[in-house]
Amino acid sequence: MENLIHLLAPLARERAYLDPGSGSILLQLLVAAALGAAFAVKVYWKKIKAALGKKSVESEQTPPENDNTGDKPETN
Amino acid sequence: MKQSASFRDPCGFLFTEKNILFRQVNLEYQPHYDRLMSSGLYKLLVEKRWLIPHIEVDHKPEDKTIAYKVIQPIRIPFISYPYEWSFSQYKEAAQRTLDIQMLALEKGMTLKDASVYNIQFFEGHPVLIDTLSFEIYNEGAPWVAYRQFCQHFLAPLSLMSLVDIRLQQLMRVFIDGIPLDFASNLLPGKSHFNMGLEIHLHRHAASQKKYAGKGDEVKMKEARISKISFQGLVDNLQNTVKGLNWEPSGTEWADYYDITNYSKDSFEKKKTLISEFIDLAAPKMIWDVGANNGEFSRVGSGKGIFTVSSDIDPSAVEKNYLDNKSRNDKYILPLVIDLTNPSPGIGWENQERDSFLNRGPVDLVMSLALIHHLAISNNLPLTYIAEFFQKIGNWLIIEFVPKQDSQVQRLLSSRKDIFPTYNEKDFEEVFQSRFKLIRKENIEGTERTLYLFRK
Repeated sequence: MENLIHLLAPLARERAYLDPGSGSILLQLLVAAALGAAFAVKVYWKKIKAALGKKSVESEQTPPENDNTGDKPETN
Repeated sequence: MKQSASFRDPCGFLFTEKNILFRQVNLEYQPHYDRLMSSGLYKLLVEKRWLIPHIEVDHKPEDKTIAYKVIQPIRIPFISYPYEWSFSQYKEAAQRTLDIQMLALEKGMTLKDASVYNIQFFEGHPVLIDTLSFEIYNEGAPWVAYRQFCQHFLAPLSLMSLVDIRLQQLMRVFIDGIPLDFASNLLPGKSHFNMGLEIHLHRHAASQKKYAGKGDEVKMKEARISKISFQGLVDNLQNTVKGLNWEPSGTEWADYYDITNYSKDSFEKKKTLISEFIDLAAPKMIWDVGANNGEFSRVGSGKGIFTVSSDIDPSAVEKNYLDNKSRNDKYILPLVIDLTNPSPGIGWENQERDSFLNRGPVDLVMSLALIHHLAISNNLPLTYIAEFFQKIGNWLIIEFVPKQDSQVQRLLSSRKDIFPTYNEKDFEEVFQSRFKLIRKENIEGTERTLYLFRK
């Protein structure tokens, strides 16, 4: 993983007047895949719920636009 | 004249001329500025009231050699800092920053910094004031502002929520936010089971420590952070912030009005008097100091006069803020200020972030049910108090609370009465030698007197 810092250093420091911090960049790399996957699932699930809500004839309520409950496996 | 805090970003800076605030946009920033405007991001952010609006002006730049444009942003009526905000003000400032970042990504842009000092309160809500914070997003690039967000927002908020609300004052000490290893050390063990805090604070601190000064290790490898991962990161931060809470109860002033010697009638009479006095002073701005939960500040804000409503108790200020939000009050700014130890100037040459007193003087100061705390609890001579009020404002509404009042009796109950000059006669003498007395009225049903003074 230490190899990755060198590649990302130019991307991160290109226009940044702010020091992003190598450790911070690396941590993002480590968690990126997991967080990205979780987010993708959440977005997809919201779309399905919305679609189901529209199709339902009996239900008068639209599904709650709640971004922050247990859709993701790892909620706090 | 360049602003003292505006020096880190080569893309532009703030300057004032004839007391008008301008922002110079440098040539270096041109492609980003143009994208901000053309992508529709600027328009959307302004519509949502998330970004301070500006106009482009035909004004001479402060430094012609590097200037692209000069813009004039709307001016914030009173600058405040994170160590002065209530919990919810701070939390909303964090949420606003993340909301902006999410929206920016949708429009092909990203925030290149996430400083808490980029957020100010305007008309009751947190807004981004640094228009040049945006840059064009190149997919693959990580969030360069992630470290700063964690230090400026997540660390202080988690310490306030999980350890002690007063740890917020650490933001006075650390000019670039709370160091993550320090926050990690102070947080309780249970914070390791909060996934967001474990990643963005604990693991983050460990990662910083491990890779400190190792930015130039060898070997290339294919790696990028996709847009969806970036969004996932911001979304996770949003959830983490959302989960941080703090209840404003159990501190001394939160239940104040239930136990004071004010009948409902006297209360209303006091409000009427204050309203009359404010009309006489006709101020453009009011500082209500020792304002508790802002009950009387709202007399001023109700007239559309911008009022800074400060108190030492974080609970009272929190209640003040939540109350104003529910009524959508645009004219009041609650802040946590200890008048006997107000925010000093901090940062470079102690001038980057202004001291509280330097942000005055103000047209009208209100000091209601406060003087006995200053004179008796804090042993301040009346002359010191009078001189202080003279320095910070032109008009003064002050409530004198005599020794016979039950609140003062309470303060004196556990100590020796060493205050022979704390009486109405001496009070009037001291204040009238520095101010002109305009009105004096007893608050019916109480032992207290309301004064209107003018410098």
